[in-house]
Amino acid sequence: MRSQHTPRFEDVDVGFEPPPLVKGPLTTVHLMRWSAAMENWHRIHYDRSFAQEHDHLPDLLINGSFKQQFVLQFLKDWAGPQGWPWKSSFQFRAMNKVGETLTVWGRVTDKRALGRYGLVELDTGVVNEHGMESTPGRAVVALPYRDGPPLPYPFVPEA
Amino acid sequence: MPLLTPEILAYVGVSTQAEFACDPVEQGAVRRYAQAIMDDDPDYGPQTPASSPWGGPIAPPLFANHAVRRPLGAPDIVQERAGDPHFDGTGAPAGGLPPIGPLKGFAVLNGGAEFELFRYARHGERIQVTQRYAEITEKASSKGPMILVVVEAEFRTDQDELLLRARRTVIRRPA
Repeated sequence: MRSQHTPRFEDVDVGFEPPPLVKGPLTTVHLMRWSAAMENWHRIHYDRSFAQEHDHLPDLLINGSFKQQFVLQFLKDWAGPQGWPWKSSFQFRAMNKVGETLTVWGRVTDKRALGRYGLVELDTGVVNEHGMESTPGRAVVALPYRDGPPLPYPFVPEA
Repeated sequence: MPLLTPEILAYVGVSTQAEFACDPVEQGAVRRYAQAIMDDDPDYGPQTPASSPWGGPIAPPLFANHAVRRPLGAPDIVQERAGDPHFDGTGAPAGGLPPIGPLKGFAVLNGGAEFELFRYARHGERIQVTQRYAEITEKASSKGPMILVVVEAEFRTDQDELLLRARRTVIRRPA
């Protein structure tokens, strides 16, 4: 759930870790519900025999598009109503199989003070219950100053 | 033998005109999407006032990325290929970029993405997208060679307000 509190740029230090976001265990029903919500019928997410026998995958796969929703939710929830999850990038380096529980994590790696607001850079990732990282990435969240103006909305990147 | 051929590389730079989602951002579709990703943010609900920071009820951050669906009357690839045991269920849901012909039958995997978010789509808005094949490269992997297809997309409202930029990497490898 989106936090009702937006952290202020000055209050976030390098090394800080926002609260992790846990999803799962993710069953075939979860995968089917997501496939239906976005009307994407890729069989490797719900047709086990196709996934294993045709595409030679170990099992049904948790959609990359599903995982990216979780990463954006993690950033949005932490940024709160007055922050902005501006950028997020990630690679799907490893497969997550049906039945796994996923945890989205982040760690602040850098801060940049701009004129009207500040930018916080984070490393992000998605690990399963065995600690396997599948989705390493980076993100940039814009935060207001303690006594500064609200962020522009729609968001306008400062040069 | 390399997978990447001049015929495949010819798709780099191919782009689409602006294509509109067949439906506006609709309350029920937002609810189903939000419930599927298990994000019960109240800002997605119809009770969100126009005085909210977002100007009214909104959709989840990446909703626009999945907004272009197959309109009524468009070709139904699921039915067309119902007798094909190799059909993996994927295919352009609407107009979109042309499929890369020489890669037909290759497995499709999501390799990653970069997103730049400018604002949320609000209920009732229509979303338009332009897309472009930005890069196509070949890479070696433990499972053999594969093709990386990078697609850039820009999502705007029907009032031409920028919502989201996306840069997606699709992995194609021989099935």
